Amino acid sequence: MSEMTIWGNMGTTALGVVQAILPLLVILLTFQALFLKLPRTYVLNLLKGTLISASGLWLFLQGVQTGFLPYGQAVGEALGSFAHKWLVIPFGFLFGFITTWSEPAVRILCDQVEKASAGSIRKSTVLYAVCTGVAFFVALGMARVAYSIPLLYILIPGYALAIVMLWFTQKEFVSIAFDAGGVATGPIANTFLLGLGLGLSWAAGDQNTVIYGLGLVALVALAPIISVMALGFIIRIRIRYRG
Amino acid sequence: MVDQLKNKILEVLKALLPLIIVIVILQFTLVKAPANVFSQFLLSAVMVFAGIVLFLLGIEVGILPAGKIVGAGLMEKRSLWLIIAIAFLIGFATTIAEPDVLVLSKQANIITQGAVSENRLIYIVGIGVAFFAAMAAMRIILGFRIAYLLTASYLIVIILSFFTPAEFVPLAFDSGSVTTGALTAPIVIALGIGLSSVLAGRSAISDGFGLLGLASIGPIIAVMIMGIIVH
Repeated sequence: MSEMTIWGNMGTTALGVVQAILPLLVILLTFQALFLKLPRTYVLNLLKGTLISASGLWLFLQGVQTGFLPYGQAVGEALGSFAHKWLVIPFGFLFGFITTWSEPAVRILCDQVEKASAGSIRKSTVLYAVCTGVAFFVALGMARVAYSIPLLYILIPGYALAIVMLWFTQKEFVSIAFDAGGVATGPIANTFLLGLGLGLSWAAGDQNTVIYGLGLVALVALAPIISVMALGFIIRIRIRYRG
Repeated sequence: MVDQLKNKILEVLKALLPLIIVIVILQFTLVKAPANVFSQFLLSAVMVFAGIVLFLLGIEVGILPAGKIVGAGLMEKRSLWLIIAIAFLIGFATTIAEPDVLVLSKQANIITQGAVSENRLIYIVGIGVAFFAAMAAMRIILGFRIAYLLTASYLIVIILSFFTPAEFVPLAFDSGSVTTGALTAPIVIALGIGLSSVLAGRSAISDGFGLLGLASIGPIIAVMIMGIIVH
């Protein structure tokens, strides 16, 4: 029974992956032919890597859409039927952490940070900072759905805090923090956490699902910006303390 | 590549296991979702696992090294305009092709009851990303601090959010995350590192990163402005 749904829309997903990657390849190859004229091995490696990645992405996206989104909704609905509303907050924390922990693009970023910094900023440090940040904000986001708090009440102070922090944190961490905001909203967050928010909002009953069920993704984008800059802040204080 | 594959399998296993274990525990204690929803989750988890292994492998063996070389090669051409043009083009083309943008544009069409056609929103978001990607590339070349650009942009976002009709606000912020598609993100990261690696006196960290973060502000501002104009 479930086999049908697992393989359903396989073609649409594949088309989406091809559609997303094609323009980038066309531009890079055009500039390669006109201006860059790099050795052929680089071009072949790029094509090989793209092919492997695209087929992986195809399986990955198909999996999260058919399995993670419906299950996220089921979890959200189960949480929404709790007698004690506040219980959604620890669960939000837990799910925020473990979904980001499994998000592949977050790992790529952390890996590149470690390489670019020649090991002085460790991969696991950034990973923990991103995951903890998202955990806090998903917890906040779940509370927002449970208690019907407007999204802007969290987003505006959040971004205002981010603006202030970026003048006081370690310079290197500013760029990493804002990139981390981009990668944290990957396919797993976009399906599982989206489903979680929608399910919770449905279970709440008398809510406008468009206003309250959505918006969790926007919080996930803000979370690592603040937590990674906080990490930079801590490191800066530590350096000063030692010196 | 065999060693890399082994490493990736272990890494992805470590990454995915916590999520899967928690869900299995919850299924039997709390959630008790219908058997077909749960079995579908387990089946899809296997697909997700295989998919991420391949995805990360391809990124590591092909896309990241090539992206860095391309970025460095571009910089060696010493043409500011060429680099800005490429950043603009890449920003625009990858965004309008991203499947997530299509989903977003359908939402916008519903919210505005047809006042904003799907195509129009796609182009608006695309131009938003392109503009900010070009600015981000310019920043790497000219070497000014990212803090100025970020502060100015987010101040604009905060100010605009007070004037934007309420139903456009979540849409605007959600569109910011749409631009960072799974495959686009690593390529953009690699290009940025490549661009900054050639220039003397640049930090690979504070100059090489940030392209992605800046690019995702573009659509937030673009959609907010659109919301204000439509009303």
